[in-house]
Amino acid sequence: MGSADVENIIDARDVVKSFGNVRALRGVSLTVKRGEVVVIVGPSGSGKSTMLRCLNALERIDEGSVTIDGIPLDADSRHIHRIRTEVGMVFQSFNLFPHLTARKNIMLAPRLVRKKGETEARDEADVLLKKVGLGDKTDVFPGQLSGGQKQRVAIARALAMQPKIMLFDEPTSALDPEMIGEVLAVMKDLAREGMTMVVVSHEMGFAREVADRMLFFDDGRLIEEGPTAQVLDHPRETRTREFFRKVLK
Amino acid sequence: MVEFLTQQAQVFLDIFAYLIPALPTTVAITITAYLLAVTLGLLVSLARLSNRRLLRWPAKTYVDVLRGVPLLVQIFFIYFGLGKVLHLGRFSAGVLAVGICYSAYLSEIFRSGIGAIEKGQHEAALSLGMTRFQVLRQVILPQAARIIVPPAANEFIASLKDSSLVSIIGLRELTRAGREYYSQFFVDFQTWLAVGVLYLILTLGLSRIVAWLEKKYRVHGYGVAR
Repeated sequence: MGSADVENIIDARDVVKSFGNVRALRGVSLTVKRGEVVVIVGPSGSGKSTMLRCLNALERIDEGSVTIDGIPLDADSRHIHRIRTEVGMVFQSFNLFPHLTARKNIMLAPRLVRKKGETEARDEADVLLKKVGLGDKTDVFPGQLSGGQKQRVAIARALAMQPKIMLFDEPTSALDPEMIGEVLAVMKDLAREGMTMVVVSHEMGFAREVADRMLFFDDGRLIEEGPTAQVLDHPRETRTREFFRKVLK
Repeated sequence: MVEFLTQQAQVFLDIFAYLIPALPTTVAITITAYLLAVTLGLLVSLARLSNRRLLRWPAKTYVDVLRGVPLLVQIFFIYFGLGKVLHLGRFSAGVLAVGICYSAYLSEIFRSGIGAIEKGQHEAALSLGMTRFQVLRQVILPQAARIIVPPAANEFIASLKDSSLVSIIGLRELTRAGREYYSQFFVDFQTWLAVGVLYLILTLGLSRIVAWLEKKYRVHGYGVAR
């Protein structure tokens, strides 16, 4: 398990997920290849965030199957744990730990989960903070950072676990417009380095620039998918066209 | 007049000399009972916050029952009822009664503190591969402490005062020592004044420690002024 010969690092089949009476996902299948960057778009409530959260078991699926890097995401808590250590996630609301400095936010999981030593974890945290352009913010608490800075720390925190996949759940939706660019720049760097990324976002410019593939969700279903430019410029489905007409005007 | 004052001073010295040896027992009951209450209270609060009804329901019943029955009755029940079966001494029975009773109050404080932490904190920590225990210990509790510490410390002071109820089963703590002194020498006013003063010194001392703890557990970047 977890070997490099699995071509599809993410393999989700017929995923169904309900919250009470609300059916969030009505049978979604999707695959992501190693090193691929996929952007998921769709109206709010279409199930795109739920899909993302099913990929690291923040939501348990009702039906179907999810396999990450050859590991089945089932009821076995060891599987869930292994998958979470290899899948990083970035949230819309950052979710930094407010009681820890930027550096300690990044060090926490490598120390506890990867059992790294204090010095090694700290050095790696400092390298990551430099990488996201915040080398001078090591000892600053989240409350003193701007939204864009918080999100960059959150990305560094996820990267510190050396994940094989990064999930981004509307990473720029809570940001002021002038801060969106700095976060997207970090994400573009990551994409260029070959990170496998699944991004739920409305940033069409970002999608066009770095995404290999675009998926359009509506009403709990995967309506359309294809190379980004094709879906953006020549969508096949009426619902996709209507969505872009609203978003892109 | 001078004669009266020196006589009174002698009475108080006498009373304090009698009472002070009982102070360590009061402090020991309070601290042991509180440690028990914190441990049980945390477990009960986690059970109440659990997704499983099988854990949630008994925990809620535990809290409802213990909050609904007077501590004095609980002390009688544990000492005379359970104590007979389990051969509990006065000290163990007293500590158990106060500890269990206060665990119910503390569990509610823990529950509201832990419940106040955003769900996103949990999710972020879980998504990094941390275990549930690590999430609780490293992410949730340090933040919840800010909310939990002030009311939980008040419960500590309250439990110190309520430890006087344990005197009823004959455990020789501060209040019991006061009753003994009174029944020997029949000086009521001075005896109970002295007992009150000693409790006051303990509670005021604790309040200072509580204020210090509140400062210590402020979390950076939150609403509280730095």
